[in-house]
Amino acid sequence: MNGSELSDADIVARVLGGDQEAFGLVIKRYEPGLMRYAARMLGSWDAAADAVAEGLVRAFRHLASCRDPARLRTWLYRIVSNRCKSHLARRPTGDVSIDDVPPMADAADNEAALERAEQMAQVERALETLSAEKREAFLLKHVEGLSYEEMAAVTGERVPTLKMRVHRAREALLAALEEMEESEDP
Amino acid sequence: MNPLDPRLHQALDGDGPGGNLPPALERQRARLEQAAVLLATGRESPSVAARVMATVRHPLPARRARLLRWLFTPRAIVLRIRPAWSLALAAGILLVSLLPAPGPQLPLGAEEGIAQFVARFPGARSVSVVGSFNDWQPDQIPLEDRDKDGVWRGVVVLPAGTHEYMFVVDGERWVPDPLAGRYVEDDFGRQNSLLIVRAEKR
Repeated sequence: MNGSELSDADIVARVLGGDQEAFGLVIKRYEPGLMRYAARMLGSWDAAADAVAEGLVRAFRHLASCRDPARLRTWLYRIVSNRCKSHLARRPTGDVSIDDVPPMADAADNEAALERAEQMAQVERALETLSAEKREAFLLKHVEGLSYEEMAAVTGERVPTLKMRVHRAREALLAALEEMEESEDP
Repeated sequence: MNPLDPRLHQALDGDGPGGNLPPALERQRARLEQAAVLLATGRESPSVAARVMATVRHPLPARRARLLRWLFTPRAIVLRIRPAWSLALAAGILLVSLLPAPGPQLPLGAEEGIAQFVARFPGARSVSVVGSFNDWQPDQIPLEDRDKDGVWRGVVVLPAGTHEYMFVVDGERWVPDPLAGRYVEDDFGRQNSLLIVRAEKR
């Protein structure tokens, strides 16, 4: 089943009509973004896989309560975002899993790839210095490309609050990046 | 941490008149946009699709079947009384619950109790209870309105402890119990009702 021509509302209707295999289309469509978002929130791809899997199962079981299937995407982000917060709340302070270490380019890689890996590591370290709220705000706005209205649906916060949070997140991320660059300069 | 120039926020938010930013602000904008692009670059990670679909297809565990078996057991001890519209009805249910039940005792486990759900939804075609005790499955615990007075009832055996629940009206409208007294916000921004079940005394 390809399903790329089906709208979210069509897929939701199919699943609610008893075609549970159609939920695979939801996973196929939204898993990459949800995994990326959860991994950046949690700093771990393994933890992200747990959060996304839990979130998708909950989404399936509560699909009938999705009031606006056309906005399935933001609904899924809301569920996964809450799963991430639960994981962060359970995680002991300072717990860093081994897969938090960014993928390193090996010696066979070219110079551009090495530089990119270093840049990636720096940005990930800078992101980790942000509070969970600011990290969430920056990721939803700039990485996942959500509008402020969509962010409000995901987080339950008001748009002016989210705008302020995104502004603070930009300032904190830029400050962290500049501090790292200064400390690395001889 | 210094505040950024408001023009930079306007440019990143797509607000304001647009146009070129001063070079220093352009560098900051480029730095933030580059960070976003890098963060959008995920690594190849195993899909959770198989894991999720395996769970989705998983059959109901035995406990849920037991809940269904006891769904309409007529002899019950009322732990909660909900309809606000009629104190007389509430008092009546309470009175019935205090009378000794005739016949054999219900085969309850040591850590189980009986909960009776009562809710008033005039005009509803169906009402069911979903909760943490049945994985929020809408069709497993239907309530009944035998005398068509808009008051829906159901009895269920639950493990002792605290459970979250909601009513599902006409298969699509999820509403908390207006008289639950205790609520907790769930992952979907709704208020779930809280129910405390105590183990039945022998």
